[in-house]
Amino acid sequence: MANWIPLWVHKLSSPPNFYRFAGVVRPWALVLALVLGAIALYGGLVLAPADYQQGDAYRIIFIHVPCAWMSLFCYGMMAIASFISLVWRIKLAEVVAMESAPIGAAFTFITLVTGSLWGKPMWGTWWTWDARLTSELVLLFLYLGVIGLYHSFEDRRQGARAAAFLAIIGIINVPIVHFSVNWWNTLHQGSTIRILGPSKISTAMLWPLLTMMAATKFYYIASLFGRVRTDLLSMESGKDWVKQIAEREGHA
Amino acid sequence: MNHAPLGSACAAVLRRDLTLAWRRRGDIVMPVLYALIVITLFPFALGPEEALLQRIAGGAVLVTMLLAMLLALDAMFRSDIEDGSLEQLILSPQPLALMLGMKILAHWITTALPLIVIAPLLAGMLHLPTAVMPVLVYALLLSTPLLSLLGAVLVALTAGTRRSGMLLALMLLPLCVPVVIFAAGAVAAAQQGLPWLAPIAWLGAALVMALVLAPLACATALRIALDA
Repeated sequence: MANWIPLWVHKLSSPPNFYRFAGVVRPWALVLALVLGAIALYGGLVLAPADYQQGDAYRIIFIHVPCAWMSLFCYGMMAIASFISLVWRIKLAEVVAMESAPIGAAFTFITLVTGSLWGKPMWGTWWTWDARLTSELVLLFLYLGVIGLYHSFEDRRQGARAAAFLAIIGIINVPIVHFSVNWWNTLHQGSTIRILGPSKISTAMLWPLLTMMAATKFYYIASLFGRVRTDLLSMESGKDWVKQIAEREGHA
Repeated sequence: MNHAPLGSACAAVLRRDLTLAWRRRGDIVMPVLYALIVITLFPFALGPEEALLQRIAGGAVLVTMLLAMLLALDAMFRSDIEDGSLEQLILSPQPLALMLGMKILAHWITTALPLIVIAPLLAGMLHLPTAVMPVLVYALLLSTPLLSLLGAVLVALTAGTRRSGMLLALMLLPLCVPVVIFAAGAVAAAQQGLPWLAPIAWLGAALVMALVLAPLACATALRIALDA
């Protein structure tokens, strides 16, 4: 039977095992992220044809759209890890949840910046109170709240559990915000300029987009594993396995 | 074991908090004064033109109420944590969520109710039409308890930390976006002569949900933050 899968997961959740596992996986994820990112950028910036309406300005979507997807994906990962950490009190899940937050906040920030860079030539304004833009901004505040709460506790595990609870409240809040912001915007005015329809995209533009999406996923893995590794070392600094690593790498 | 019945325990918590608030009457006046000052600043910043003030009146009053409540929120559990009576509450045999619900109710009565009483005056200073006043009061009657309940969960989360003022604002903003949208939406709709019942009904629905869930979440958050 497939008994080894739960066993493997259980073993993996112990800090020294995960430290080793992440150390092996991280360089591969980083290389994959860089290679795929370079291919996607070449495909998007050089190979893909210019848009008949937007000219070359549309090319920012090869950064913007994958980052927007990642901003939601990271929040989802953070909320799932938060749930696991609160229910089963797994130390690794706490670390994963808290280290996902800055990465997700960075992706959200990039989404907002690239969006406003694109909005200036297209809409004629850096910022508009469109439903999507507002939801993304609220998402950034949610991330910042989680990060801020985590760092305001002196005891890191306690901070992680409080912030994990906030992350779970946040994920209930995200659809409510999205729905209410939509309602609010349609009450006042319909959007006069629509965002490029995602279904009517040509293959030459689609494949760099999907490649970039894969690249951002691998970057997330690489970044997360690196952060989790350093976090585990500092959290477990009194433990034997950290001492062994320090002695081994100190002599080398 | 011989426990006090639930009703009398609730009444005791409520009476204690209201008595404490009454002994420090000056603190009750502060949010009201703050709201008055903020509303006074609007005409100075935007000019005394009546049409403009009338347009922003509903939203300005709502945001001012929100900020005034945010200021008072920080103190919701502060003194109880300092003198240890919150730990006593956690250890008590009565359900913590219910006891916290009573504390939230007491907090709402002492901070939000004076604000609601003064709201028509503030709106009048910005020339909000008299016909819209009842809608503003309905919106406030539904949205302020909602804010108290949501705020209480966040205050409970920050209970174990020392400085929490700005952090509280940062955490409350995403949660209060829908509340502000629906409350201000109702006032704006009434001002334009449109039906305003739908956003009020949404606020009511959200309040019912928060009444059930927020005290439970507040109790969980407090247990996490105080590591009890």
